[in-house]
Amino acid sequence: MEQRLRNEAKALLEQGKVDWIIGFEPGSLKFTTTPVITKDKNDVDRLVINPFIVNNLANFLTEVTGRVGIVAKGCDSRSIVSLIQDNKVVREDVIILGVPCPGIIDLSKVERLAGKDRDELDDISREGDKIIIKVGADKKEFAITEALFDNCLACELPTPQEYDILLGEPSSPVVNKPAAQAKIEKLKQMTPEQRWEFWKNELSQCIRCYACRNVCPACYCQRCFVEETEPQWILPTPRWQDNLIFQIVRNIHVAGRCTDCGECERACPVNIPLRSLTKEMYDIVGELFSFKAGMDKDAPPLMTHYEQEEAEDFFR
Amino acid sequence: MASKKINKKDIAKLLSQWSQEFTVFVPSTEDGVATMAKWNGKDTSFLDWYRNTVIPPKANILPAMEEMFSFQKSKEGYHIELPPTNGHKQLIFGIRPCDAKALAILDMTFKEAYEDPYYLSKRDNMVLIGLGCTNPYDSCFCTSLDISPAESTDVDLMLTDIGDELLIEMVTKAGKELIAKAKGLKEATKADDARAKKAKEAAYQKVSRKIDTEGVGDKLSACFDNQDYWEKAAAKCVSCGICTFLCPTCYCFDINDELVKQQGTRFRSWDSCAFPLYTKMPMENPRLEKWRRVRQKVCHKFEFYSMDFSVIACTGCGRCIRLCPVNWDITQTLNNLPEKTR
Repeated sequence: MEQRLRNEAKALLEQGKVDWIIGFEPGSLKFTTTPVITKDKNDVDRLVINPFIVNNLANFLTEVTGRVGIVAKGCDSRSIVSLIQDNKVVREDVIILGVPCPGIIDLSKVERLAGKDRDELDDISREGDKIIIKVGADKKEFAITEALFDNCLACELPTPQEYDILLGEPSSPVVNKPAAQAKIEKLKQMTPEQRWEFWKNELSQCIRCYACRNVCPACYCQRCFVEETEPQWILPTPRWQDNLIFQIVRNIHVAGRCTDCGECERACPVNIPLRSLTKEMYDIVGELFSFKAGMDKDAPPLMTHYEQEEAEDFFR
Repeated sequence: MASKKINKKDIAKLLSQWSQEFTVFVPSTEDGVATMAKWNGKDTSFLDWYRNTVIPPKANILPAMEEMFSFQKSKEGYHIELPPTNGHKQLIFGIRPCDAKALAILDMTFKEAYEDPYYLSKRDNMVLIGLGCTNPYDSCFCTSLDISPAESTDVDLMLTDIGDELLIEMVTKAGKELIAKAKGLKEATKADDARAKKAKEAAYQKVSRKIDTEGVGDKLSACFDNQDYWEKAAAKCVSCGICTFLCPTCYCFDINDELVKQQGTRFRSWDSCAFPLYTKMPMENPRLEKWRRVRQKVCHKFEFYSMDFSVIACTGCGRCIRLCPVNWDITQTLNNLPEKTR
């Protein structure tokens, strides 16, 4: 799959079909990959596809000008479609190099399973529905469902539906709904007071680095409401109350655009379980509007489209 | 003075003694993220898991947010009230040499270049108990910045793990006083000193990531206008604030007033040169393009700070690499600096 990707990417650049290639190359730390955004055909020899391609590269589409060949997992391809629906990206300008995604490995979960930090591990490999962690001569085996990101365990569309080149056979989802929903279910069992206390504590940790927003392809506003000064909706000061407003409004803004790629939660340096908010919003959008983000490039975007017959009485 | 030692089992007793005089801070993950948090009076399990904190100890002096004063408008004018000074003395237990050096670097700005009362009220009431790093991360590169992971002169006491015990070296007068008052310490033997020396050397060897700081300021100066290089180096950056906020030496702050009717509060909070709206309030951000902002981050640490204070404003703690959501790596940017000026 990797070699084919390199060949395709090189051909696209050489034939002038794209100006840019956006993909993954090996990262500088163990078990990491890092985005590569390049015009140089020599760079494509470093492209990789492995269980550590965490980033949603659709995020970079709105930054480059010209035609782009982009590596996309299932959720990423839906983010691209969503950007097309929002007129942020033109379909013809993008060549989607689809990766049938087997699920991405959550290094934080692996660390907990191994009882060691990621840089202390010698190898992490996947064999079918098992994950094998090696430290020296010590070898531990776990079910793959224990090591994938929560959002991967909820993913029903790991293979991109919208693509130009599919780099392999469609993969079947590794769904484990109870595991994927565990954190959210726990919150649902709480009383409103307990839930308030929970989020107050979590959001007290927020340092307002905006990583959650900046890694999110659905957050593409030129100027985010939190940075408005006239009027100033919230202070940049990271008080939990201001942090809460930031997260609530961000959530509402990405409703109907969020594809549950999980990047917000993964990027958070202080471990706030942000996906518990975005996934709940994702499900509510599904329930209320029978809408899933990024499924159909020709469908009107959810929140900017209005039909007379769908309106609540007070809208008429 | 000869060094002392303490059994790890007795650390809680020692911290309890110090709690009489200080508010003791230790590495903790109680709030969901590793930080220097108020000691809960019993837990010393950090001795097993602690490598370094996510939130750097600078947050104990320069917090993510702090109230500067409150104000009230009346017919006579403004009445300003300073926040109450609690006068508590902080004891930071377990600070790593990289982070202790970072505080010394911050002192140059907040103590020497000008005197910042908010910073100094905490800094001047603080003792630092260093704990040598025996298991540095693969993202650490302190040795390239003349820092040894298990040695420090920027602390009051320096501790080294020698097995079941910690060796204690007295670095400052304040450190000696702490030891003079402490109960339950033993004299270290020559064998203990030798063990500590070995542990320090081993830790030093473990730091595998390297940068070449020789003439780095000049190299950066030479390629300042090489837009191609900086554009490529910055391409994957998402302009979030992780690398600046969690950097132990980054100190930029923003000031905001919260005003409700006739009264309000002035806060200062961390700011980041990675943000497109940085310095927008007083004028404009001169670094609208991302590559200019990334260049600023690198140059400020490795070129500009050295011009002012003859020291590089980086201690190789590796947080900016470890915690970056896209694995942007400052060591790669520095190691690949081009000769070409543009």
